[in-house]
Amino acid sequence: MLIRADNLVKHYPILSGIFGRKVSGAVRAVDGVSFSIERGETLALVGESGCGKSTTGRLLTRLIEPTKGTVRFDNIEISELGPEALRAARRRMQLVFQDAGSSFNPRMTVASLIAEPMHLAGASAADCRARVQELLPLVGLAAEHAERYPHEFSGGQRQRIGIARALALRPDFVVCDEPVSALDVSVQAQVINLLTGLQREFGLTYLFISHDLRVVRHVADRVAVMYLGRIVEIADKTTLYKSPQHPYTKALLSAVPAHRPGAARTRTEVVGEVASARAVPPGCRYHTRCPYAMAVCRTEDPELFDLGGGHRSACHLVRITH
Amino acid sequence: MDEAALLSVRDLTVAFETRRGSFEAVRGVSFDVRAGKTLGVVGESGSGKSVTAMALMQLLPDSAQIMTGSVHFGGRDLCSLSERDMLKVRGREIAMVFQDPMASLNPILTVGHQLMEPLRLHMGLGKKEARARAEELLALVRIPSPAQIMRAYPHELSGGMRQRVMIAMALSCGPKLLIADEPTTALDVTTQAQILELLRDLQERLHMSVLLITHDLGVVAEFADEVMVMYAGQAVERSPVAALFDKPGHPYTEGLLRSMPPLEDEDPETLPAIEGNVASPFDLPSGCAFHPRCPYAWDDCRKQTPMLAPLGRDHDAACLRVPC
Repeated sequence: MLIRADNLVKHYPILSGIFGRKVSGAVRAVDGVSFSIERGETLALVGESGCGKSTTGRLLTRLIEPTKGTVRFDNIEISELGPEALRAARRRMQLVFQDAGSSFNPRMTVASLIAEPMHLAGASAADCRARVQELLPLVGLAAEHAERYPHEFSGGQRQRIGIARALALRPDFVVCDEPVSALDVSVQAQVINLLTGLQREFGLTYLFISHDLRVVRHVADRVAVMYLGRIVEIADKTTLYKSPQHPYTKALLSAVPAHRPGAARTRTEVVGEVASARAVPPGCRYHTRCPYAMAVCRTEDPELFDLGGGHRSACHLVRITH
Repeated sequence: MDEAALLSVRDLTVAFETRRGSFEAVRGVSFDVRAGKTLGVVGESGSGKSVTAMALMQLLPDSAQIMTGSVHFGGRDLCSLSERDMLKVRGREIAMVFQDPMASLNPILTVGHQLMEPLRLHMGLGKKEARARAEELLALVRIPSPAQIMRAYPHELSGGMRQRVMIAMALSCGPKLLIADEPTTALDVTTQAQILELLRDLQERLHMSVLLITHDLGVVAEFADEVMVMYAGQAVERSPVAALFDKPGHPYTEGLLRSMPPLEDEDPETLPAIEGNVASPFDLPSGCAFHPRCPYAWDDCRKQTPMLAPLGRDHDAACLRVPC
């Protein structure tokens, strides 16, 4: 096991009063999330906007401090590290963002952008140069691209630069946060192939955050479905797509537009919209939208129930009928 | 012109004047939208799909100009109408729904106020009638408690609710044609499914035609009757929806379909991706604009610009591999 999250919680206070000094509640962005990822594995976190998937990615790398919970990375307790040790550990965990371009300094050349993490880690200029020349062809860019500026590149190429930058320090673990969502359809497949190819070549471990269930089915080994700050179902990819158990997973899967016209499908009725993380419903947080909700769902918060083979689902109905 | 066509666009070319020079965003595009049917326009950023819609509505920015072409709608050429006459068409006969409802709603006016305004202006309703009709419209788009939402401000609503309000507004004057420009792109999948179902149901009940602009072939598969695929400002393929998915005629369409990861079928280890990048309008490749990315391209593709040629019933593709 390379990385393990235990009961991660991130609550943001809601401030009120004219000076914003009163705390009147909390946005429960991440509300008790636990999982682990094996070395070389890809775990996908899926869910709709506001479900806490990106916050979870940032908590893992301790880019934000958790309210509660721990992260263990390669037997190091990340949550207890001091600033110096944290910096050292972070070199082994990197992030790839949705819109790579917006995180680049427009005045820096591609070479200096890619080398920046190495430079900060104290590598010599010669080492940086050599590593950049090594990385460019790896991510499908040409050597002469090194001296150009980010605005000269298309979205897909900028994402390649972002990936090269993430790989500069030879990390073990990469959080990919919606890495292809902003790209044109015809370019998405290229970047997905690049990410899966690099994983095979260097044995990388990925946390792949996405709302796109097609992309997730292609890249993931295991999938965790999040709803309002919680994992409601987790299973290996084949099981999750073939026999989803949680009503929310079923709804998500049935909402994906078909591959071709007139494809036979059973549409699970999804009612209403995601409740707010400011006012999480009592009991099961999905009960307000669930067509199968029972009395117990309104009062008791379901735990993840083990269905065997690593398949777990947080649903009273699943627990009762199993 | 096709008898049943409500909207007929012929040879539309739109040019932009920018500091980097001028370029043609739409190049000689022709299509029909039939009465009561949906035409899906598919393309990536810069393919000219949204510019085409703006040109139809005569809503192009000052930097853009229609160079050639005609837009026939209900027996008139919209390109030759005065701004005054066009005002009567826009909103009343042709309405639009955009990707980002927050950008089109006024943040300081209530939903009710914004819904009632066109009813009073375009339809000449009194205040009381307008209110009743507005509540009816909100019920039509399946908003649970219309009277309450009437008093709400846009920021108080979720993305899906705002899009429902926009659709209600677009339908308020009973348009014959609805132009929906990426109506579900900003929404979550479960909300997207709800909105698409709503649009389909409304179209049937109100016998509207829909011009659906999207980058998502899945949305097209679910919703469109006919499809036009655009690449670098040109229509590269036009087809009934089933034929497009069964027998794509243009290598670009074929590539798009193949690169979509499957949800049920066997998953390939490497996705069959389209190589290269989307062509820049400032630096269009010679001949067929798709040739640098095309796996089938040969010498002629660099020299000749292919015209749309028939492949089957109502099915055309602009590729030299399709015999004229």
